[in-house]
Amino acid sequence: MAKPKIATAWLAGCAGCHMSFLDIDEKILDVVKLVEITASPITDFKHFEQVDVGIVEGTVNTTKDEEVLRDLRAHCKILMAWGDCACFGGIVAMRNQFDKADCLRRGYIETESTVHGKIPSSDEIPKLLDKAKPANHVVKVDCFVPGCPPDASHIYYALVELLNGRIPVLPANMMRFD
Amino acid sequence: MKEISLTIDGNKVRGHEGDTVLDVCRENGIDVPTLCEMKGLTNVGACRMCVVDIEGERRINPSCTYPARDGLVVHTKTEKIEKYRRLILELMFTEKNHYCMYCEKSGDCELQSMGYRYQMDNVRYPYTSPATKVDSLSEYMAVDHGRCILCGRCVRVCGEIEANHTLDFAKRGFNTVVSADLAQSLGASSCTQCGACLQACPTGAIFSKLSMYKVKPSECQEVKTVCPICGVGCELRVLVKDNNMVMIEAPQLTSDKGPLCRMGRFGLLADGHKRITSPMIRDKEGKLKECTLDEAVEAAGSRMKKLGKNFTGVVSSRLPSETLSVFCQFMKQAVGSKSVDTMGGEAFRVIAEGTKAFNKKSEGPEIACSIEEILKADCILLVGADPLKTHPIVASLIRRAVDRNKARLIVIDPQNDVMSIWRYQWLKPRAGSGAILLNGLMNVILAKGLVKGKEAPAKLTQSLSEYNPKRVQSDTDVDAADLEMAAETFGKAKHAVIVYGQGVWHTRNSALVTDLLNLADLTGNRDGDRLRIVSLKPAANSRGAWNLGAAAKDLSQAHVQGMYLLISDEQVDSDEVLGWLRTIDFLVVQASYRSAVTSMADVVIPSPIWAERDGGQYTSLDGHVAKSYRVIEPKKVLLQDQEILRELSKKMGHELSSDQEVSCGQT
Repeated sequence: MAKPKIATAWLAGCAGCHMSFLDIDEKILDVVKLVEITASPITDFKHFEQVDVGIVEGTVNTTKDEEVLRDLRAHCKILMAWGDCACFGGIVAMRNQFDKADCLRRGYIETESTVHGKIPSSDEIPKLLDKAKPANHVVKVDCFVPGCPPDASHIYYALVELLNGRIPVLPANMMRFD
Repeated sequence: MKEISLTIDGNKVRGHEGDTVLDVCRENGIDVPTLCEMKGLTNVGACRMCVVDIEGERRINPSCTYPARDGLVVHTKTEKIEKYRRLILELMFTEKNHYCMYCEKSGDCELQSMGYRYQMDNVRYPYTSPATKVDSLSEYMAVDHGRCILCGRCVRVCGEIEANHTLDFAKRGFNTVVSADLAQSLGASSCTQCGACLQACPTGAIFSKLSMYKVKPSECQEVKTVCPICGVGCELRVLVKDNNMVMIEAPQLTSDKGPLCRMGRFGLLADGHKRITSPMIRDKEGKLKECTLDEAVEAAGSRMKKLGKNFTGVVSSRLPSETLSVFCQFMKQAVGSKSVDTMGGEAFRVIAEGTKAFNKKSEGPEIACSIEEILKADCILLVGADPLKTHPIVASLIRRAVDRNKARLIVIDPQNDVMSIWRYQWLKPRAGSGAILLNGLMNVILAKGLVKGKEAPAKLTQSLSEYNPKRVQSDTDVDAADLEMAAETFGKAKHAVIVYGQGVWHTRNSALVTDLLNLADLTGNRDGDRLRIVSLKPAANSRGAWNLGAAAKDLSQAHVQGMYLLISDEQVDSDEVLGWLRTIDFLVVQASYRSAVTSMADVVIPSPIWAERDGGQYTSLDGHVAKSYRVIEPKKVLLQDQEILRELSKKMGHELSSDQEVSCGQT
């Protein structure tokens, strides 16, 4: 039987969840024995091939994030969200308390280190969405591993559950929001 | 109370009439999740986490407000109920801005643990992300309204326990927000900074500036001790990590002395003063220089021995009785001094003389009731005291009495409008005319036939006859009608309590104390031989010090050549005392902090602060004995206070016995 395929995506976030994934240390060799990792932030492929499990880290913050997430959803059977950003919106969603225009002005013009700032307006560049959203407010998400970042052992637990044909639900003692 | 029988989750359980369904669940060990409920506060059913299914009801009901009754069939753990609880939780998370990753309370948050318990790994509803505010202008506390779940515990603890009603809800619906006064910053509001709201808050919405981001309470050790400040004798729970104090909490927040006060909860942690880390002696050029303990002991010992009976000792009554006793022993036996006084000893002399004149017998114990009597009062006479400044828990008890019992607060103060929004009347006598006013009150009480219990002694009746309202008005500036109203209010009260304080002993007129005792006696405000009267003594162990006789003699009137001043961590800032200390030729100061007092000393010896002190006995202002415990290991201190005194004593050729309790009274 061919190894199940996995693809991971990194939306608006700090990459801490992927770092935490790498923190499973030598167990990653077991994972690689059992699954094939296709697209990931490291491979930098622009599109996803069809996979069994899609994994998303980060908040849906820009038009590009939304496009990547929809692409991943379309190419995976099971979609798993990693981390508070993908599960709840996370720290990126703090901007929702403020007006989008205020956020852009503060970020690109009023920052203390900025001289002659300008809000990017090129069509080449993704646009900020009105509100930053968790993944499941945009597409259907099948399972969640919250945490900021999730503990490596919790990520490993979820992967093992999936490989055993179960949709993982973290038990209460593995739940972390921080 | 009548017993009732219910069926909860298929089991027959018992409860009592008047219980809520939640009470019955708790009594029977049935776990029901709650967020807004807190023992000792009124249940309001705000959070809805405790919903249960009750057979015969059309919809689910919060168990914390549902009265239990005989025969009720309740389900607490059905799939439907658990589904609703998770839904409620998700709505709570979407309502405001909850970000655990940088929240101070993370790991110790009731909302977060509830999220874990219900395995809330995603939220199905859109976030409202309101533009919430952070208020960090209060001295010790900050409020992040984004983390508030509107459970109202802070509002209730502020209203029902601290009874200050600073916090309440403002606005409606989604815009509801906890507000201090009329949308003030907490720092600019009527907040007393007791910190009860902080301890009651289940989330990180109200947090302590002194403790935030230090360490999680669950990782701390707990030490219970008695507060070393004012003499109310509140119990403190100090959280300690790696020999550092992290936080001070009330072991029972909603009990009588529960809320603690700004001094006990925060003041003890906010220690910005410079510690004395080494003994110092004054060199030939007149400068204080660091030296070894031996050198300091040598310098102090030889001089003290020489001065002998012309040498006096003054000690802080914030120290436990054991230390006070060693101090007295040291002064009497090793130094050969005749007199020992405590800081604030004048209070003792005024109270003792006044009580003696009332008793007309030998000095008995001070007549006083327990401060909890204030809670039962329907009338409180507050004389020369500002409890909000000196004894904030007493102020809280008074407010609770006004709030719950509609007690009438009558304030007698020549200058300050004390507790102005809580008082019924302010009698403002001309300075020095307090005794006339009190006699005037008794005169009216006699005239109106409001004397209760035994008949008034003829001698007293006679001496009061000249204090008619007209005369009192001309001598005190208190309007005769006001006087009559106060006398009537006090005289007709069923349970009146007199609270007096520093204003009384600062006059050094012990007749005021006698008058107050007579007033309580005349109006029958007594339980057995305890009159309902409380004096707000100056320090935590004033009463303990006075029991040892350590305040019998007023030293400030005599010329003092040398003095041993053991102030430890107490601050001396009265100009009067500082001026007096300046006249002393040879001054030895044992203190924790550098201050104006240590800068005029000839020998300075370091002393541990309250938390570093060995445990000991404290007698509260109303006579309860409590034990203090050492909270942390001394950091910058050489020895405990009493060990230093023993060393000194040994140097002076006298061995202090270790277990002998010595009275400090004059010999």
